[in-house]
Order: sequence, then C-alpha cells, then structure tokens
Amino acid sequence: MGNVIKKSIVGIVIGGILFGATNALGFPLVFQLLFFGYAMLGTVVFIILDLPPLKPFGGVKAAGALIAFYVILSAAYVAGGAVWPQFDPEDEKGKIDKILKPKREQYEAGKVEVLLQRAKALDEKTKELTARLQALGAAQAPADQKAGGGAAPSATTAASSGDLAKLGEEQWQLQECYNCHKLNGEGGKKRGPELDNIGSLLTAQEIAEKILDPKSYKAEGFEKEYEKGKMPDKYKDLMEPGDVQALAGWLAGYKNASVNTPKPIKMK
Amino acid sequence: MKIWQRCLLFMFALVAVVGGVAYAQAPSAPPVEFPYTGNRTAVWIVAQLHILFAGFILGAPIFVVISEWLGYRKQDPRYDRLAKEVTKVTVILYSMTALTGGLFIFVLLATYPQFTTWLINHFFLIFAVIYPLLFIAETIVLYMYFYTWDAWKGEKKGRHIALGVLLNLIGSITLFVIDGPTSFMNTPVRAEGVSPAEFLASASLWDKVFNYSWMPLNLHRLVGNVTFGGFIAGLIAAYMFMGSKKPEDRAYYDWMGFVGNMIGVGALLFLPFMGYLLSYELCDYDASICPYMMADQLSMFFEMQGAMVGLIFLASNYYIWLSMKRIEGVERVRMTILAPIVMVLLPIVMTKVLTDYPVPDATSLAFLLPLLLAPVILGRFIPLTVSSSTVIKIGFLMVVVGNAIWMTPHGFVPTGAKLVAELELPSDWNFLALMPAKNSAAFTLIFVTVVNYVIYNRAVSQGTIVWGKIDFASQFVLVFLAFSAIWTMGLMGAVRSLLRKYFHTYNLLPDFTAESFTPTLSYSAWWITGITVTFFAVVSFAIFVTLRPADAKGHAHEGSPIPAGAK
Repeated sequence: MGNVIKKSIVGIVIGGILFGATNALGFPLVFQLLFFGYAMLGTVVFIILDLPPLKPFGGVKAAGALIAFYVILSAAYVAGGAVWPQFDPEDEKGKIDKILKPKREQYEAGKVEVLLQRAKALDEKTKELTARLQALGAAQAPADQKAGGGAAPSATTAASSGDLAKLGEEQWQLQECYNCHKLNGEGGKKRGPELDNIGSLLTAQEIAEKILDPKSYKAEGFEKEYEKGKMPDKYKDLMEPGDVQALAGWLAGYKNASVNTPKPIKMK
Repeated sequence: MKIWQRCLLFMFALVAVVGGVAYAQAPSAPPVEFPYTGNRTAVWIVAQLHILFAGFILGAPIFVVISEWLGYRKQDPRYDRLAKEVTKVTVILYSMTALTGGLFIFVLLATYPQFTTWLINHFFLIFAVIYPLLFIAETIVLYMYFYTWDAWKGEKKGRHIALGVLLNLIGSITLFVIDGPTSFMNTPVRAEGVSPAEFLASASLWDKVFNYSWMPLNLHRLVGNVTFGGFIAGLIAAYMFMGSKKPEDRAYYDWMGFVGNMIGVGALLFLPFMGYLLSYELCDYDASICPYMMADQLSMFFEMQGAMVGLIFLASNYYIWLSMKRIEGVERVRMTILAPIVMVLLPIVMTKVLTDYPVPDATSLAFLLPLLLAPVILGRFIPLTVSSSTVIKIGFLMVVVGNAIWMTPHGFVPTGAKLVAELELPSDWNFLALMPAKNSAAFTLIFVTVVNYVIYNRAVSQGTIVWGKIDFASQFVLVFLAFSAIWTMGLMGAVRSLLRKYFHTYNLLPDFTAESFTPTLSYSAWWITGITVTFFAVVSFAIFVTLRPADAKGHAHEGSPIPAGAK
C-alpha cells in the first residue's frame, strides 16, 4: 500500500510539473489536462508493475471474473469513444444533399430512361409477335400498344439561382477546398497554396481550368505536390459546370496583394 | 460440433446466398428497411462479424502450420497439441465464417440491391466462379488437414505439414481475391484525363482488382490476421489455464499463452507500417482522403486508435514482464546501458530526422540505423550495464511517452473548419501532431517491445522457466489483448469503409440513401463493442465445446516443467 501511495504522489507531482510547464509554454487548458492525464497513465502503469501476484482461482469464480472483466472492458471502450469530441453528422448531411442533388436527379432521370428502354423493347417484341401471328394467318393482334408515352426525361440543368459569389463560396465549403488551401486566414495546412491573391494572377476562366484539370497549372514552391498530383483530378466529374464557374468566379474576386499567393505556371 | 451440425450451418449459409441472389433478380426490388439499426448499420454488423471470423480462419492456419512444423522439427509435442487445438476451434469458426458470409450477401442484396448487382456485374468472374471455387477448395483442404492429423503422423508428418501449407496458400489467395472488390470500392481504377465511369467501362477485371489500395490492403490484412490468430490462441490458452485443475495442464497452457502472445505481438510490430502503407496509398490516390481521416470527420477515430494501440503495447509488454517473473535467475540478466539511452533518445532524434528527411527519403536511415544498432555494436565495447528490471521500467516509461506523442492531436475538434485557438496545439509545438512525430512514436513502441523480448531471451538462456507459475493476472492480460486487438480491428475497419464518404464506390457510385453520412465516434464505439462482444461470445462457446472434453484426457508429458532452452 505504501508503494502505491508513494508512486501516486510521484505521479501527481510529475503531472503537476507537466501541467505547469505546458501552461507556461502557452498550451491551451485542454492540452494541459491531456498531459496531466499522460502522467496519471504512467502512474497507473508503474503501480500495476509492482502489484503482488494474483492467486489462481477457477470454476465459477473464474467465469464470473471473466464476465465482469468483459463488462468493464466494454464499458471502458464505449465510454472511451464518447469522451472525445464528436463530429456532428448534421454538419455534413446538408452538404451531402447539395452535392448529390444533381447526381440524384441524373440518376432518377436514368431510371426513367431505363424504364422507357424496357417499354420500347417490349413494344418491339409485341410488334414482332404480331407480325409472326399475322404471317401465320392468326387473328389480328392489337397493334396500338405503345408504352411509356411521350414524356422524355427532363435534362438536368444547373440551377443558378442566387448570386454567383454566394454559390462560389458555398462550393468552397461543399468541396472542402479549405482542407488544403488557406483563404481569409482560415484553413490550409500547407498542402496547397494560399489563395487570397489568386484573382491578381489568374482569370476566372483560368481558375476554372485549374479546377477541372489540376495539371494545367503549377504553383511556385509546390513542385513536389504538383508532381505527386496532390490536387485531386476529380472535380470535373463531381461538380456541375455552373458550380465550377461560380467557384472560379468567386475566387477570381480575391485580389489581396498583401498575401503572398504563389505564382501559377501554365503547364498545359 | 458434429458433422451434421456443420452441414446444417453450411446449408443455412447456402440458402441465405441463394435467397439473396433470387431476391436481387426481382426487377426494381425495393430495398428492405431494417428496423432500429437502419440498413447501413445492419450491413456493418454482419460484414464486420464475417470479417472477424474470416480473419481468424485465415490467420490461425498460418501459425498453426508453423507450430506443427516446429513440433516436428524440435520433437516437442506441445507445438503439435497447440496446432491441433487451435485447428479444432478454427474448424468450428469456419462454419461461422460461411454462415455470416451467406448472411452478409443476403443483407447486402436486401438493403442495397442496385449497388450489389452493379458490383457483382463488375466482378462477375470472381463472385460467380473464382471465389466459390476457392472457398470449396479451402473447405476440402481444411477438413482433410484436420481429419488426417492423427493418421498422418511419424513419417507421414511431412505430408500433413505440406497439406497445411496448401491450406494457407489457398486461404491467402482467397483473401487476395476478395480484397479486389473491397479495395476497388475505396480506390476504383482510373486514368488521367478520362472520367472514372468511362475508364471503368473499358477496364479489364485485372485492372479493377489491381487498383491503388489492393496490395497494401492485402498486406495489412495478412499481417493483421496473423496478429489476430496469435491473440486468439492466447485467449484460448487463458481460458484453458483458468479451467485447468492439473499442474501439468496449467504448465502447458501457460506455455501456449506465451507462444500465442509472442506470435500476436511479433506480427503486431509490423502492423503500424502496413497501416501506414495503406493510408499512404489512399492519400496518394486522392489527397482529400488524408484530411478527412486525420484532420476532419474521422480525426477522433484516430485518437481512439492511438489510445488503443498504446494500451495494446502496454499490455503486451506487461505480459513479458510477468512472464519474466516466472524465470528463476532472471535477476542476473543485465544489458548494455546504451539500450535504455537509445530508448529515450529515439522519439526525439527520429522526429527531427524524419522532419528533415521525410518518408520515403532514404537519407533518414543514415542517421537512424547507427542509432538503432548502437546497443548491439557499441555495446560490446562499453562495459557499463544496467539490470533487466531497470531497462524494462525505462521501456514502460517510453511506451507511455510514445503513446502520449501518438495521441496528441493538432486540435480537439472533429472538424478542421471549427478549430479555434483554445483547442489548438501552439504553433511551436505543432510538430507533435505531424507524421514524423507519429512515426517516431510508433517506432519507439516497437523498439521497446523488441528490447524486452531480447531481455526475455537472455533470461531464458541464463535461467529456468517454471511453466505454470505465471502470475494469474497474466491470463487477464491475454484476454485484454485479444479483446482490444479485435476492437481496434473493428475501429479501423469502420474507418476504411467510411473513407468512401457518401459513395458506395468512391467518386463513382454515390450512395443516395439518408444514411450516407459520417457517424459519430460514440455511435461507432457502441456498435464496434457490440460486434466484438458477439464475436467473443461465439468464440468462447467454440472454445468451450471443442476443448473442454480434451481437458480430462490428459497430456501429462507436454506439461511438465521444462528447463530453459530445452528443445
């Protein structure tokens, strides 16, 4: 017991030192607590290392101990999953709905097309059978079966309601461009260039070209990223043409010369 | 389990598959709505259970055959008994793999009929011919392997081992084949300048199978399965140790637990690298996957992973610590002072070196290899030594430090866009959240574990192991390792699947259902725990019904205390 108390005191002292040191170094409170938590983990480990041996037991006692152990583990892992900050799926649901809307419409239109094709195929078959029956001199089969009607699927057109800038900004959020590019001092992590002055270097059309074909321009200082094809070559398939234009137009409005946006070099 | 019971299970699996396929033939069949769980979670539960059973039946035979071979070579019957006992459990779980596999395809067809039909169409040859044939071949070979065990002894043992090798070969090919469609869903085949849908239309089956993440997934699962098999062998040993009444049985199961844990940990050492390779390839395929994993929606899943990996390494080293306590003469073992020094320096030096020369720049090796080899090479010339107990305790301290580095995040938010200064690491310390630091943390955990095993081996060569006298707490450590490793597999399996975001097949086939979003870690943890507990209940039952009767039959010769180093 004395050993446990001694190690607990040492652990709390080390935890206190870590807490104070991280405070002095400007770590936010949550990190100070995290480092204190690490010290406590170390304390528990060193207490367990020197615990006296557990005497063997079997039968019902062992089965009960095992079940209790599983219950504790399960509770600990469920609780462990709950203590970390949780992502709110509602943040994503709206985005996904917006991104998938045109594709859903295309899909629904595709389903109608499939039904129409099936109806046409049936119609052809009916005609063929009727012709055969006529050739055999059988009774005339009804020849006026027409399936589907004349309702052609309506083409999906990119709805361009609202102002262009708002739509462009919305695309910036939806496509999560902020994960790689810094803009207005937010986002980034140096995966891609900061874009606050991109409007002074590229036109809206050129920006759209870069989005649709990432290999068309290379940013100075991002040679490695360019060679590895870091910018995904997928937006031409994922985005509607109107959305690309809106995003490019919105970005072209950024002409903040105080930010060092690297010079784009035309590659294609 | 009797043959008629196994046949019944297979029949049920077959009915499930046939029923599912028949259901999918109905034109425009509306998807089934699963109550309470929803469709996606229903698929998740069945798929994860299937993968857990499949992981075991593919992983266990790898070390079973190695164990059988060791038993033959060393003429030590314990290895043969271990191999046979694990195979008995494998045979039962094989039926469960078939059953959950049938159920999986049935649930998938009922809930996502269009997508499933689309995927089957793209991999028709695999789903209709190759995979069923491999499965049948594996079934035949597994049962042959099991039922010829006693008949093919002595001179025929080599033939039996060869059959085991064949079983593993078929098992590995089965894994590689089914990984084709699985990895395709994450990284479908593509070509520059052509839309994915257009390219897919002209792609061959091989193009689809040999996609970006196929080989990394194969390697990751192969190593993961061995780890899994090792820890389950440890679990079997722990149960049997607890239930043993005779000292010789207790001695045998103590030995089996040690071997299972050693295999599990041995494979576990490679797992972080395999995981890194897989995520590297995924990020290389589409850079937007990286922030989604590490900085956004799934970032806290990786925090949980860090915590789990840290706990697993702590537990496996604690098991070595307890194992050493049952070696008489362990106190005489000493080690060069350079070993603990390198342990302490490793995370600092490695973070710096990997920051200056990031992976895959080989320059980093010029600094790291001399450091890692210093205890082996320079240790011969420096007479200063420390006790094994001191080295291990410093090792535990460094495991905690490594765990701390692994778990320290860039920010305490599940989305990078919501990051504020009060939750963000100070910029001067941001290196703690970057990959060089994480890699150095992983390597520190591995290095410490390797050093501990070196110390154990030295203790074995200088002392005497008293099998069966291990601290009883060690059996709970074995149970903990199996449960935690499988829970972590469930967690990372969920991550791999969620990386497809709102697509069934990434960037190719969107998921238009209302469940197409990233679930919370808390929600996922509930289901992962539920799946793990269900799996454990079945495995525990399988161990109980297969091995309990064997307990009374006696294996006195294998269990007697054996001097260290005995062959």
